[in-house]
Formats: sequence, structure tokens, C-alpha cells
Amino acid sequence: MKARCCDKLVTAWAWLSGLVLTASIATLLGFLLTKGAGTLSPALFFGDTVPLDALLLKRQVFEGIFPATVGTLLLVGLAVGMAVPVGIATGIYMAEFAAPRTKAVFGLFFDILAGIPSILVGLFGFSAAIFLHHHFSGQITPCLLISALSLAFLVLPYLIRTTQTTLENLPRHVRMTAPALGASKLQTIFYVLLPQSLSGIVSGIILSIGRCAEDTAVIMLTGVVATAGIPASLLSGYEALPFYIYTVSAQYADQAELMRGYGAAIVLLAVCALLFALTAFIRHRLADHLLYGAR
Amino acid sequence: MTATNEIKIRARRLFFAYGESRVLNDLHVDIHSHTITAVVGASGKGKSTLLTLFNRLWEDIPDARMQGSVHIRLEGTDRDIYHPSCSLPDLRRKVGMVFQTPNPLPMSIYKNVAFPLKMAGISNKARIGDAVETALKQAFLWDEVKDRLREDARRLSGGQQQRLCIARALVVEPEVLLLDEPTSSLDATATETIEKLILSLKETCTIVVVSHDMAQVERMADRWLELSEGRIVNDWPDNQWIDSV
Amino acid sequence: MRSQGLVQGLLAVAAAGSVAVTVLIFGFMIVLGLPLVTSGTFFNLFTSSWLPNEGLYGIVPMMAGSLFIAGLAMIFSFPLSLGCAALVAVLAKGRVPALLHRLVRFMTGIPTVVYGFAGIFLLVPVVREWTGSGSGMCILSASLLLAILIAPTMILFFTDSFTGVPKSYLAAADALGATPVQKFLHVVIPCSWRGLTTGVLLALGRAVGDTLIALMIAGNATAFPGSLLDSARTLPAHIALVVAADFDSLEFRTLFACGILLYAFTTLTVVLTRRMVADKGGAP
Repeated sequence: MKARCCDKLVTAWAWLSGLVLTASIATLLGFLLTKGAGTLSPALFFGDTVPLDALLLKRQVFEGIFPATVGTLLLVGLAVGMAVPVGIATGIYMAEFAAPRTKAVFGLFFDILAGIPSILVGLFGFSAAIFLHHHFSGQITPCLLISALSLAFLVLPYLIRTTQTTLENLPRHVRMTAPALGASKLQTIFYVLLPQSLSGIVSGIILSIGRCAEDTAVIMLTGVVATAGIPASLLSGYEALPFYIYTVSAQYADQAELMRGYGAAIVLLAVCALLFALTAFIRHRLADHLLYGAR
Repeated sequence: MTATNEIKIRARRLFFAYGESRVLNDLHVDIHSHTITAVVGASGKGKSTLLTLFNRLWEDIPDARMQGSVHIRLEGTDRDIYHPSCSLPDLRRKVGMVFQTPNPLPMSIYKNVAFPLKMAGISNKARIGDAVETALKQAFLWDEVKDRLREDARRLSGGQQQRLCIARALVVEPEVLLLDEPTSSLDATATETIEKLILSLKETCTIVVVSHDMAQVERMADRWLELSEGRIVNDWPDNQWIDSV
Repeated sequence: MRSQGLVQGLLAVAAAGSVAVTVLIFGFMIVLGLPLVTSGTFFNLFTSSWLPNEGLYGIVPMMAGSLFIAGLAMIFSFPLSLGCAALVAVLAKGRVPALLHRLVRFMTGIPTVVYGFAGIFLLVPVVREWTGSGSGMCILSASLLLAILIAPTMILFFTDSFTGVPKSYLAAADALGATPVQKFLHVVIPCSWRGLTTGVLLALGRAVGDTLIALMIAGNATAFPGSLLDSARTLPAHIALVVAADFDSLEFRTLFACGILLYAFTTLTVVLTRRMVADKGGAP
């Protein structure tokens, strides 16, 4: 019968899609893991340098991904550190204080910001650095600080959106309890609403951390370099894991370097998997079903 | 009247549970064709659940389990509806259901009523048009909607929506019609119309109605069964106390 | 009470600042790209080839590269995503839907550069063998990888839409004799078209805006691509590659033209998406 045939076709197509997707990811990740598993060792990070010396910054690391790892950590810390206060503050403003008109207009701008390709944020950061270089201080060039600022712009919309959505989705009775007991609006926000929204906000922060750790396009244009060691200051060049991986893939000098590339890819993947697990943990344990829906 | 008609639905040793709660406990019942049987009892899942056992709609509930057998006489032959060879879509075209709250699909009146025909693979436009008109007439709705068949069904009043749902169930000519508290969300006038409608359908279908309104039951039903604690405790007019056999 | 005014003021400043960033990014590009218009090379951008040594700065090949790669990626990814979403939300029972959904969510966290790295060393050689020509770094390879990259975006949106269909419609369809597939095709999909469109728009924006996949996999040739197996360059990849040029040169300024195109495209998708969501507020 025609209908039964159609039914079978659709069901087959759905299962085939699931299979293709799973197989593709399994193949890609499996390939990386099998090729690179052997490289996971302190040597991957520190090369020939004694680990303790490297960690205490007494000696430079030359054939290891330690500088890139440190660079990424610094970058993430700076970027998220700058973006979180502004993003959460904006989110609170949007959810609690903004007039409907303002909310709509601002909301549009934040959605646009969220949609801007990362390469353009990088281009902006680069241009701003050059502009400041010409007009303010010859010391300013693409560097760690500029990259961190640009990444902060990149993740700002995520923080705004998660804070705003979590606050807005709090049930009505939670909002009414404190004022009914005499609390002012500010008190309600800081003593009741924000603590209740914590898991949603933290999830947004974790999302931002992940985004900053993996981004390559922005940092490519704003100061990351292939070899810089540990950055001496905020205004110096630095290395980062994603860029290391990219450089190795584009031009690796020898097999050892290629293997380090695989190792770096696995390390970065592990970081992201960890962040994913963290988000899942928060979601299940802190039972914030407002943001994610009951599953 | 009940004893002379053939037996349409024969249910034996029905047990039903979901999660921790036991809903039906060793139920036996014979429903005779072309009669209106009402199922009454205190609030709880038992009454509606019993209906879903006849069209196997309970299988969508996670964690639900049943035991027992249900045989329904369809197209002249006795069918075990839980046999693996029984096709669910076919079963549900022969054993139609109308829900407590009207649930028109988000489409026009015409498309709503035509929907089951489309699912059954009928594509002849003329045939569909005739069937839709017949069904709407059977449901006492045709005169009110014949000039606005393309309108969204959700614009109709509650009573009209419920008649639409009945028409929709009737369009594939079911032999059994299951109605789960069909008038509980409607006002008195709408209720009256639907009761008249149900009475008129006795000629074409075998009807099982769940109701919590005893006055309604007395107006409509040839027989009523009272469910309590998962068992039938009263069976009017036969007034037999049903023991587990 | 005064402190509330102060705090509110601070919050407003934060919000205004965030808005300013969005405007600033666009403003910078317009201002810095202005010399292109004043020096008369603006139309040159859209008509000639990219030969900076000869003073030709046509970016049409890059526009074509973006169009072909993103377009092909969408063609591969849409049916795949729809099928996966159907599986998760409607057609499969038991553990499969939950596991697949979890896998898809995990995929959103995988860094793009990792996809690219695996792509270079796994996919590219395979395509090279398979097609027997070229280096394997071409539109086809990039599209395939990009399709996998953007699939989670669509799958998650589609799944959310499907599970959001009112249960009463599903019960009605079941009771009227629809098979699960019929229910999916005739009730679930029509009810979800808003979510479907939003997912497609967002994935398209992501595909066009992605830098790394094309940069690492598509070959980056500056000629107008003639076939799927040709090497091509997208607008974002172009920006990444040309940024090494002298900042004050016209060559560099063309990057802002590329930027404005990309900004305009993604803003368009955002505006359309917001329309979808806004309209939904009105319907029952």
C-alpha cells in the first residue's frame, strides 16, 4: 500500500540520519583519539624541559604545548572576567528594569551581536588596536589584552541572554514573596532572585568559558602568535591551544610536531568535554528546570 | 434490549496498572451492539482508562501495563485486538474516540473532518467531500458550518467543537464509538444537543460513554456500569454483582 | 532609595555599553571602509578578480565561495538534521532518543578547530582518493564538514519545536488512526514550521560566518570556483588571510567591504528570526 511504503521510507530515512550523524562524529573523534592517544604525557606539555622548572617559569618550554595552554587559560580568565560583570548587569537590567520598548530595541542589538561572525569581532579588535596605536600610544599592538577584550565582546550576548532568560522564567510566586514581606526591589533582586537564578547564570558562564577557550578566528587577528612562550605582560604576544592546532595543521615541520598537534586537539577536546559534563551536572543536581525544561 | 443484540465487545480478566497504582482489577464485561453503555463511578482513572483499553490508546502512557483480553466483533468477525497482527490505525478507525476536552486540529473545519480519511489513504476529492458532509450532518453540525468549512476549527464554540470532534470520529464509519465525558466542559444547551446526537447514533454504532452525571446517564443509557476500586460493582439493569470468574 | 537609583543607573550603563559595542563594530567597518568608495575602487570590488598586485580587488570569487560552501552544507545538513530530530522527538522510543540528544548537545561544545584538524587529516585524503583529482581541499570537503558542524544547531531547534506541539493534537491524531509517521508529517511538522525556519536561519548564519572550516579545508584559491572539486575561498577566510597586508593599503580596506557584507547577512537572519518568534506570540 502506498501509505505503508511512505511510512517505511520516512522511518528508514530518520534512522539513517541518526546513523550517519553518529558515525561521522564517532569517526572524526575516534580518529583523533587513536592517533593522538599515544602522545598524552608530560612530554606533550613540557617537551624536554623539566616540568617543575617550566611551571615555576624558570625555563622556557620549546617543544611542548605548555605555553599555549597557559595562554589559553590567561585568555579565558581575562575575557570572562571582563565580560561577566557587564553581561550579568545587562541581563539584570533587561529582566528587571528595562521598559518594554527599550527591551525590544536592546534585545535586537544583542541578538545581532550574538550573530556577528567571530572573524568580524577579530577584525574589529585588530582595527581598534591599530587605531589606538596611531592615535594614543605606540605601545598598543595586537596582544593578550586586545584579544581578551575582543573575546569579551564575543561572549557578552551569551551572558546577557542566559541571565535575562533565567530571571524572566522565575515563577511568579518567587517574585512576590519578598516584596510582600517589605523588601525593596534591589533587595529582592540580590537576596532572592539572583540566588535562585544561580544555576542558569553559572551555565551561561560555563558556556562563555567554552567559547573563549575554543575560539580561533578572533585571536588570530588580535595577537596570538605561533611561538611566544609565556606572555610577559598584558601587552605582549601569547600562544593559545586552538591557534597551535591550526598552525600545526597548516605547516608542521616534522612528525613529532604533528603528533603534538593531535595531542593538543585531544587536550582541547577534553577541556570542552569537561565543561559539558559540568553543565550537565549543574542541570541535574541543581534541578533548574526553568531554563532547560523537564526531560 | 441488551440481551438480544449480539455481543460487540468482550473483555475478560482485565488488569491495568501504571507506575505503582493498580487501576483496573480483574474486570469482565460484555458490551452489546447498538446500545449505549455508560460507565460511571467516583473520580479516578479507572473509567477513562477502560475506554483506552478498547482502542489501545493507553499504550502511549509510559510505564503502563495491562493483562487480559479484549475481543471486538468488527466487520463480521470476532477480533482479538491485542493480537500482534492487529493494525493500530485500522483498529482506531473502527473504534473511534471522542475526548473530554474538544481537541480540533489546527486546521480548517473541512480538513479536520477529512483528516481520518486522508490517513486511511483515501484521496478521491469527491468521495471525501461526500463523507465530510455526511459526517457533519450526522453530528448535527452541517447547517451551522456548511458556509464556513474553510474557517479554522478553533474558532467554533465549545459545543460546536465537540460536535466537530464527533463528526471527525464518524467520518470513517466506526462500529464502536467511545466517548470520555463528552459534555463535561460544555454548557447546558450544548450538552442537550450532544445527548440527542449520541442517542441518534445508536442505530449506526455501539456506544460506550463515560459520565459522572447520573441524570445524564438516566437520560441516555440503556445500561450503566459502576466502577469502584478497579472493579464493576453495579450493573444496571441487570443488577448483577460481578464476581471474578 | 537613592542607592536603587544609583544601581539602576549602573546597570543601564552596562546595557547601553553592550549596545554601543554592537553599533561600534558596524561603525568601524563603515568608516574604515570608506576609502574604498572615495578612491573609486568600490565597483571594482564586485566586478574584477582578486589580483592585488595589479590593483584589482574583486571579492566576487569569495562571495561565490561563501555561497557555494554554505549553501551546499545546508543542502547536506537540513535533511540529516530533520531526520535526526524526527528520530529523537517522534519516531524512536526507549533509550535511543535520549542518547542521540545527548550526543548532539555534546557536539555543540566541540571546538571548530578540532573538526578542521580531523578534517584535514581524515576527510581530505578520503575525498582525494575518492574523486581521484585535486588535493582534496575543495568545496565538497568543506561543505561536508560544515554540514556536520551546523547540524546540532538545527537538530536542537527542531527537536524543541517538535516536543512543543500540544499533546491534544497528538492524541487526536492517534485516536483517528494516524500512524506515527503520518502524525509526524501531517501534524507535528505543520505545527513546528516556525521552529524549523528559525533553526534553518540560525544554521545558515553560522555556516556563512564560520571561518575555520573553509580556511583549513577549502583550499583558499582566489579564482572563481567552477565545480565542487575546485578550491575556493570564503569571505571570512579571506579576511583571515589578507589581514597580514599593510593596514593603510586599499587591499586591506577591502576587508571591511567583506565585513559589511557578512554583518549585513547575519543581521538579516537575526531580524527574520525575531520576526518568527514575535509572530508566534499572537497565534494560539
